[in-house]
Amino acid sequence: MLRIQHVSKTYPNGTQALKDVSFDVADGEFMVVIGLSGSGKSTLLRCINRLIDPSEGKIYWNDTDVTSANAAELRNIRRNIGMVFQQFNLVKRSSVLTNVLSGRLGYANPWLSLLGIWPQEEKDRALKALARVGIAEKAFSRADALSGGQQQRVGIARALMQEPKIILADEPVASLDPVLSHSILQYLEVLNKEGITVICSLHFLDLVHRYATRVVALKDGMKVFEGSAKEIDRAKFKEIYGEEAQEVRAASF
Amino acid sequence: MSQNRSPLVAGVFSLLVPGLGQIYIGQRYRGVAILLGTLVAAGMVFWYGDPLWYFVPALIGLWNVWDAVSLARAGQTRPIWIPVLAALLAAYTIGWQVVGIDFSAADADRAMQILRPMLRPDFVQERREVNSMWVPVQVPCGPQPPQARREDGGKSALVMPDCAGVNETMILNVNGMWPDTDTNVVWRTPIGDPKMIGENEAEMLVVRSDASGVVTTAIHVPSTALVAAPDPTLPQEHRVYVYQYRPKGGIELSYIGSEVLNGALITIGMALIATMLAVFLAIPISFLAAHNLMGGNPVTYAIYVVMRTILNVLRSIESLIIAIIFVVIVGLGPFAGVLALAMHSIAALAKLYSEVIEGIDPGPIEAIRATGANWLQTVRYAVIPQIIPPFTAFTIYRWDINVRSATIVGFVGGGGLGFLLIELIRVNNMQGVSAVFITIAIIVTAMDYISAKIRERLV
Repeated sequence: MLRIQHVSKTYPNGTQALKDVSFDVADGEFMVVIGLSGSGKSTLLRCINRLIDPSEGKIYWNDTDVTSANAAELRNIRRNIGMVFQQFNLVKRSSVLTNVLSGRLGYANPWLSLLGIWPQEEKDRALKALARVGIAEKAFSRADALSGGQQQRVGIARALMQEPKIILADEPVASLDPVLSHSILQYLEVLNKEGITVICSLHFLDLVHRYATRVVALKDGMKVFEGSAKEIDRAKFKEIYGEEAQEVRAASF
Repeated sequence: MSQNRSPLVAGVFSLLVPGLGQIYIGQRYRGVAILLGTLVAAGMVFWYGDPLWYFVPALIGLWNVWDAVSLARAGQTRPIWIPVLAALLAAYTIGWQVVGIDFSAADADRAMQILRPMLRPDFVQERREVNSMWVPVQVPCGPQPPQARREDGGKSALVMPDCAGVNETMILNVNGMWPDTDTNVVWRTPIGDPKMIGENEAEMLVVRSDASGVVTTAIHVPSTALVAAPDPTLPQEHRVYVYQYRPKGGIELSYIGSEVLNGALITIGMALIATMLAVFLAIPISFLAAHNLMGGNPVTYAIYVVMRTILNVLRSIESLIIAIIFVVIVGLGPFAGVLALAMHSIAALAKLYSEVIEGIDPGPIEAIRATGANWLQTVRYAVIPQIIPPFTAFTIYRWDINVRSATIVGFVGGGGLGFLLIELIRVNNMQGVSAVFITIAIIVTAMDYISAKIRERLV
């Protein structure tokens, strides 16, 4: 159980990205966060593993206070939370295998990992993770030699290495075409069925309907909706995304 | 507007001050341009001082009055190419004479004297074996001169008479040399100074041995035989040497060739050491000169600005000039060259490195932090993989540049090929110069190719 309580975030330049956002995520949910670009979705996801420190509010994960964890505790929390990014965030010049292994850094012997030495057991685990996302044969390619869809699968394999309880996916399919979008989200769906909680930000209504078990909508940093995916119809979507969204749609017909 | 301006006033104004008439009419830019143009043309012509060229500012002045009057009368300008052409003509002709361009100074014979030997670079020579012999001669004659004859290994040599004074003629006879072979005859003073005794003492005396291996020739005591002697009246033992050479088959490195090879190794080594020295200093400096790391607070930003300024100033000084200073400080030789190259490379590399650091992708850093990695692990897995390949590529590129610069730095005493080259030019050994040219070309081309290949793989 992840509990987000009254979280606000104000950046040093004065931008208020989140305003008093609260909701709970039960274990095993596929929670989708929707909202316009700049509505605070990325900030919200990054507050959960404290890549960004919230200015106010508390986040509890299984009764552990994430927001007040010290550096060592935080690393312990982070290694249980896998993260997948819109831009994949792979080290382009490193091999796919190294990128996947880096997901294991939170567990690895710090000194051996600094030397780049990994036990065979971890390498096997990485190859297995790659096999799960269907690109085992790419293990020794450079990461930037892969297509966008393949890179995102490497991103998922990296998250799998953490044996995560939660996966945070920050617009994982925004850089991909619709067919690839489904294949990536299906991987997340399978993981979700295996018991991993998924918190994912998305833009497309049909994807939301297809995958979400529950939806939170943000607008200008505030939570404007929380409920099941079915409750979100076109009218609601328009309300969340604003009147401009409708105008663009109307103009394109 | 031009209708209510008097052509007469405009003309007089322009006559007094070029361009003033045009300004009076309202064409301010045209007026100022004419004034400045006239001043520049007049300044140039008066500086050169040849009255022949005074017509140029005069012509521009007249044209300017004509232009002003016709502007005032009909609102029509006069073609500007007339003064421009006059000024350009003056500039080119005066410039030609000042620079001293003189194609007749290029002497075809002299050019051939220099260029022809360059077609035969002095790298290698035929392997030869030497057959030599010498015989002592007393110069000048003492009361009891020893016999001028000597035997050695089946060869015998004698000079008649046993002693002689400067410029006197003697007979040299050597037995047991190789038959039918050109033989060089050289005079050596008691301190070992070789003297040529061929025509005018400017050429080697070459005699051919007969079919039975006997060399017989008239020789004379060289006029400079006693120049270095402490007491010219004191009889001393001089020597007459004969040398025969014949090819042994195969080729070997000539003396110049081995010097060139040695110089090439020194040059490449200089470049390598200078680059390594520069890398060690440039890496820490580059972090201090990276905007994304240092932009955070005023103190670090000040360090950033200072670092950038120092780097820019250092980089703007050619390594050749730095080398001149280091030659004065540490003396002639490769060390001065290495320091000069390193100095320049630090500045260049630190700037390139800092730009790499400024350009790293923050995405992977975020992703690695999110896995629960500590700070060192994040640097190792997200930062270093991003900067090592471009760092290496820039370093190799710098080495490539340094090899080229090392030859130039050698010119001012920095050692290596450049130093050898300037010495060969001074003694007019054009065959050697050509050998150095070819070696530099080969090294630079090879380095260029290799560094391009490596960088291709890295980036």
